[in-house]
Amino acid sequence: MLKVKNVTKYYGDFKAVDNLSFEVNKGEIFGLLGINGAGKTTTFRMIMGLLTPNSGEITLNGQKIDYNLTDKIGFLTEERSLLTKLTVLEQIIFYGRLKGMNEKDIVQKLDYYLDKFEIKEYKNKKIKELSKGNQQKIQFISALINEPELLILDEPFAGLDPFNVQLFCQEIEQMAKKGSMIIFSSHRMEHVEQFCKKLVVLKNGKPVLQGNLKDIKHSYLKKNIFVRGEIDIEKIKKIEGVISITKQGDEYQIKIANVDIYKTVFDEIKKYPITKIVLEEPSLNEIFLDKVGEAYGQ
Amino acid sequence: MVNKCLYLTKNSLFKKIKSKWFIGINIFLLIVLCLVLNIDHVISTFGGDFASATPIYILDETNYSYEILKSNIENVSSLAEQGNFETKKYEKTKNDLVNEMKKNQKIIGVWIKEDINNVLDVTVITNDYMESYDYQMLVSSINQTKVSVATALSEIDQKELDKISSPIEIKREYLDKNKKSEDESMNMIMTTIFPFVILPIFMLTVFLIQMIGAEINDEKSTKGMEIIISNVSPKAHFYSKMLAGNIFVIIQGILLFIYGGIGLGIRNLFGSSSALTNTIIEMTNSVLGSGFVSKIITWIPLIIILVLITFVGYSLLAGILASITTSSEEFQQIQTPIMMVLLFGYYLAIMASTFHGSLFIRIMSYIPFISAIIAPSLLVLGEIGIIDVLIAIILQVLTNILFLKYGLPIYKEGILNYSTGNLFKRLLKIFKTKSD
Repeated sequence: MLKVKNVTKYYGDFKAVDNLSFEVNKGEIFGLLGINGAGKTTTFRMIMGLLTPNSGEITLNGQKIDYNLTDKIGFLTEERSLLTKLTVLEQIIFYGRLKGMNEKDIVQKLDYYLDKFEIKEYKNKKIKELSKGNQQKIQFISALINEPELLILDEPFAGLDPFNVQLFCQEIEQMAKKGSMIIFSSHRMEHVEQFCKKLVVLKNGKPVLQGNLKDIKHSYLKKNIFVRGEIDIEKIKKIEGVISITKQGDEYQIKIANVDIYKTVFDEIKKYPITKIVLEEPSLNEIFLDKVGEAYGQ
Repeated sequence: MVNKCLYLTKNSLFKKIKSKWFIGINIFLLIVLCLVLNIDHVISTFGGDFASATPIYILDETNYSYEILKSNIENVSSLAEQGNFETKKYEKTKNDLVNEMKKNQKIIGVWIKEDINNVLDVTVITNDYMESYDYQMLVSSINQTKVSVATALSEIDQKELDKISSPIEIKREYLDKNKKSEDESMNMIMTTIFPFVILPIFMLTVFLIQMIGAEINDEKSTKGMEIIISNVSPKAHFYSKMLAGNIFVIIQGILLFIYGGIGLGIRNLFGSSSALTNTIIEMTNSVLGSGFVSKIITWIPLIIILVLITFVGYSLLAGILASITTSSEEFQQIQTPIMMVLLFGYYLAIMASTFHGSLFIRIMSYIPFISAIIAPSLLVLGEIGIIDVLIAIILQVLTNILFLKYGLPIYKEGILNYSTGNLFKRLLKIFKTKSD
């Protein structure tokens, strides 16, 4: 289990991470979210042992993370971290050896992943000659090559087309099934919703939302009503507790302050010829925007 | 961690040695060294005006100067091992000589007449300005001729003439009983050749700084550093770069030595007995024949130690500076002052033979980073002793320890710092952050 306990990190007078705590169990995919500069990269760097927290503790399976444990960790950075003058083979051997692996195993695993991601022909090509998407695949392979117990993925889908996103998703789920702990960061909330059961949202280094995704959604008071049909928007807008109404295609999305408003809205809507009415939990994106905006005082 | 450090060292070293750049540079160095050591053959192969002898037509109206002047021209040009002259006695008139010179522009005409006051009246006639060496050679030969003619005209007997013309044998006496004449002549030789001996130290230091800087910069600018440092401690990474850099310059130094040997081997194949070969043979014999060898044997280990720890110092400096830069252009800028310091040391080492007893140069020979270039020169010149070299070694070691103590934390912070802006401010900020 990865345990981040009351971790705080300062850069000079600037507090980059403020009393952050979370846990990731084996086989779990954990979302670490936040806008740019929220403290995600600093948190990743502290987990990797690249930075030392000013206070708090980070442990992996009960042990403080140091260079004896980093062989068990895979790290995919947000920006490309490949030595572009090397070939794919040289690059993966280099990173694999730094993970304490032997060359034979590295080449075997590399062949497996190159085949899986359908880029076998690039094995002896220089990294700089590859497209952005293929470079991202190589970076992903370099993070997986040691079959890590803890896998940190910072924006793993950057530069990928939907088909390759799907390939990556399958592999991430596969890793979780094998028992890896995965920390996942993305600005694409639909991906986070797809994978993560638990998450933390950071704002200025401070957690503004944390816990189980289902619970977060459930406890979030604001809900959405989706309606298809001819309704009198102005009348519905006047109902107390209705926050906003927007038209999306042939449907209306009515945001309400809490679930109790639903009955009043439904009583009004049923007067009109409608073909659909659904009460839904808000999306993570909405919650994220709401919570982060709240923290900004908007 | 030791294994990973060794792997990184091996990786850095092989990456460098197997690179096309390294192979290309070494082929270039081999060719250049072979060419330099055989430059006379190369120049002769291509030919030119120098290949044919310069005709000197001597119109001797005294009837006794021609043979003496001819002999002097041969002696002077032979001693200088330069120039190729062909003297000819011209029997016709001055006007005929001038006409002939108009047909062959290369001819140098020498018109000698008797002069009651100055023994000889000599006019040198040419179509164009003379080359400096030709003119000096001719003046020297004519002056010697004048002395010979004057001596002969004074009716001094042959015995006295021989005494006058024989060279003086100078005896040397040293008030310091430890001084020997062999050492004195050795010092003179070393003063001439030492700038060339320390040149490789200068070159190798430049290679070292460039290699470490370029590697760290490459890893940092591609963000590969994030992955490397997440698996290997910054300390191990730093040591691996230093180790690889130093092994690299030692290999490069040995290669330069081998290239020099190949160049001299090619020279021997040509069977040359030119000035350069003779000078090298003479110098080698002088070195071997004097007591200088036993001295050098004592000095060499100390000089090697000083050079090696200075290389370590430069590696530390290059590594620390490279860690705070974010692009190769920025590193190029930051390494310029280091190169200037290195050049300053090199010039001082060369000037040491001119400014004997200079207190400034002596003080500079203790200063870390330039001591490795200056101290060996002063040692060879007898300006400093082994104790002074030991002081230079201690100072460089202390500097290295300080760099390790304060530089490593900067390196650790710097390699993952991508902020831009004023480099000096950035360095202070990183240092302050680390202190916090």
